[in-house]
Amino acid sequence: MGNEAIARGAIEAGVKVVTTYPGTPSSEIADNLSHVAKDAGIYMEYSTNEIVAVEVAAGASLCGVRSLSCMKHVGLNVASDALITLAYTGVRGGFVIVSADDPGCWSSQNEQDNRYYALLANLPCLEPSNSQEAKDWIVYAFDLSEKFELPILFRTTTRISHALAPVKLGSIRERIDRGEFIPEVKRFVMVPDFARVRHVALINKMESVKEISENSSFNKIIRDEGKIGFVTSGASFNYTMEAIDILGIEASVLKIGMIHPFPEQLVKDFIKGFEEVFVVEELEPYIENAVRSSASSLGSVKINGKLNNFLPRNGELSTSIVTRALAKSLGRPLPRNFISDIPFEEIQKSLPPRPPILCPGCPHRATFYAMKKAMKDIQINCTDIGCYALGIQAPLKIGDLLICMGASVGAACGISKVQERPVVAIVGDSTFFHASIPGLINAVYNNHRIILIVLDNYATAMTGFQPHPGTGITGIGTQGKRVIIEEVVKGCGVEHIEVVDPYNVKQTCDALKRAIEYSGPSVVVARQKCSLLATQEKRRQGLKIIPYRVIEDRCTKCLACIKALGCPAINIFNGTVLIDANICTGCSVCAQVCPYKAIEISRDEADEGM
Amino acid sequence: MKECNIVIAGVGGQGVLLTAEILGNSALIEGYDVRVSEIHGMAQRGGSVVCDVRIGKRVYAPTIPDGMADIMLGLEPIETLRYLRFTSSKTLIIMNTRLVKPSSVLMGIAKDLSSHDIIQIINRYYNNTVLIDAMDIAIKAGSPIVQNIVMLGALASTNHLPMNINTLKESIKQLVSPKYLELNIRAFELGVKAGKANLSSRH
Repeated sequence: MGNEAIARGAIEAGVKVVTTYPGTPSSEIADNLSHVAKDAGIYMEYSTNEIVAVEVAAGASLCGVRSLSCMKHVGLNVASDALITLAYTGVRGGFVIVSADDPGCWSSQNEQDNRYYALLANLPCLEPSNSQEAKDWIVYAFDLSEKFELPILFRTTTRISHALAPVKLGSIRERIDRGEFIPEVKRFVMVPDFARVRHVALINKMESVKEISENSSFNKIIRDEGKIGFVTSGASFNYTMEAIDILGIEASVLKIGMIHPFPEQLVKDFIKGFEEVFVVEELEPYIENAVRSSASSLGSVKINGKLNNFLPRNGELSTSIVTRALAKSLGRPLPRNFISDIPFEEIQKSLPPRPPILCPGCPHRATFYAMKKAMKDIQINCTDIGCYALGIQAPLKIGDLLICMGASVGAACGISKVQERPVVAIVGDSTFFHASIPGLINAVYNNHRIILIVLDNYATAMTGFQPHPGTGITGIGTQGKRVIIEEVVKGCGVEHIEVVDPYNVKQTCDALKRAIEYSGPSVVVARQKCSLLATQEKRRQGLKIIPYRVIEDRCTKCLACIKALGCPAINIFNGTVLIDANICTGCSVCAQVCPYKAIEISRDEADEGM
Repeated sequence: MKECNIVIAGVGGQGVLLTAEILGNSALIEGYDVRVSEIHGMAQRGGSVVCDVRIGKRVYAPTIPDGMADIMLGLEPIETLRYLRFTSSKTLIIMNTRLVKPSSVLMGIAKDLSSHDIIQIINRYYNNTVLIDAMDIAIKAGSPIVQNIVMLGALASTNHLPMNINTLKESIKQLVSPKYLELNIRAFELGVKAGKANLSSRH
């Protein structure tokens, strides 16, 4: 996997400090380093959020050791405040920041193009096009960072991070384990007088990096033939190579691996003499604008990209999209085998949708059910980033607003000020620590009547069960100090706090009713381990998972359980309601929901009827 | 060697990713270039999952262009239909006929579709098919969890893969936890048998 390749590359480069806040599609980089950290002598931590991750890694780098920070694209928004000024101070030990972008929003709330952060911070940015490059270039990125004393941005996308491809390993370099912070006030203390000077230093450094960009093998002519030129990078390079093959075009291809500083002269020399140039890139016309600027003095070259609608500005590209766009633009027929002779669109229309949903036994489902029951469904639910965003699906339909990590709390404050209906903010445990605390303090300070529900399932579940401050488990797998959510809440000045077990429907409903009656900000912590995690742990310990079952003669087939919960373990088979013993986690919530007491725990295995 | 493009479709939790990794790893063992595309995170949770495996002398993109799949390995019938855009009438369809009903159907929001209807659609458009009830076979092997490996066995039985059956087995050994290895090998072998029987009964 691309992410594993990046992790390996960091080890080969002698990385000492690795920090992250998990986020798809970046998570496996740091997760893999976490697995080996203890044995390899690497320090790895799951930081509370991305800016803290960058600050921690930067601190270590300033002492002279090599550091890596990994995050998803939107995580870099959180870290950007530190990043942009770090460009001024520069670093000492190599410091690489991986930003994994998500064109197509496979697992994200937006598909922003983080190449612009390289431009905004004026920092070197590399973009690999496969796993091998990802591994090799991360090693180079550390060298480059140290040479110019600059943080390096390393941009991947989902199809690089989550593509599996063969990788040839390199040797592991010697690592520097200890360092020392040597003060240099004019360089590291960014008061206005010093910052102005450091900005000039950054501009000068980047002039030198530009020379590397013009002459390095990262920006490389891959094919050299014909009258048409392609400028491309990253995942788009692969689609371009395949599209050229499929259409049988004679063409030259320039692959850009160093996105910033942009190799203007190289591009200018490349496109000279072509009748037409195609820029193939995902999302924004980043390379296209640079190519147009490089070509401005050349006159007659026609440049195709986003700005003349050759390719869309949204979503992922694919070999199909690029091939079709190219065939259309060049007036070439599509090869026969490229067009499916199956009426797939018509068939697709008849299919029932299958969106991602909460897992069997998910404690969030139980909390959401209790919310609907206790609050009579009149509340506005500001939801947040995590598995619980899946609550929007029927039948629960919990979630009226979702913006970014922690936004539920702040937005709820604003809504509460101007309307009468109760306002709920829903955050997970990891999201609570990441970005919700300032919002909560704001609610206390400005007396916003919001109900904050913290869904504490002991994990950053959506991204792969990474630990967080509430678990106390560290990135190197040791048990550290747990930070208790309700103590933090109390420390923020909240006076109405309750902790409930969401698997206890009545207890949860009662607590929610009290919270809604309270005159100021109130907090309910719904605590129960993620059902996937709990099941895994039970299996590992050899413990039996005892499922529930439907008592056939008591079941009236009212389907209250299915209509209220939508748990994937409850099915209808030949008109009978059945609980799938293979996936039921034994949470008991359906048994509490059933009005006819027709659901009970399976007493022995023989009764399961599997 | 000709390029081999395999689409694997299924429901989150059915082991789509593991199946893809076993195929990719097998191709790697035999010295091919490989790309496997995966989607993690939000898209995985009980939803529709698709994964591409591309094997050849030189592969660039991890995703398969429309209409160019040589093999569709459908771990679930509705999800098989959902990704037919990657197939053409020449594609080999290996499909598990055991339906996993989406919650939209259970709650009465979406129209139901039977396994029988789906088999009819597949038979109407494709000549080359292996349709088996992997659930039955998986239970015989020891657990419904290994339906994906049964299907992989059925695929291996067709001789449409560039890799040897033993390489696939070796790959299962490398990627499956030792605790469940025996179960998986049993499922694979029963899958091979079922695939062969299915093919021969049709010719």
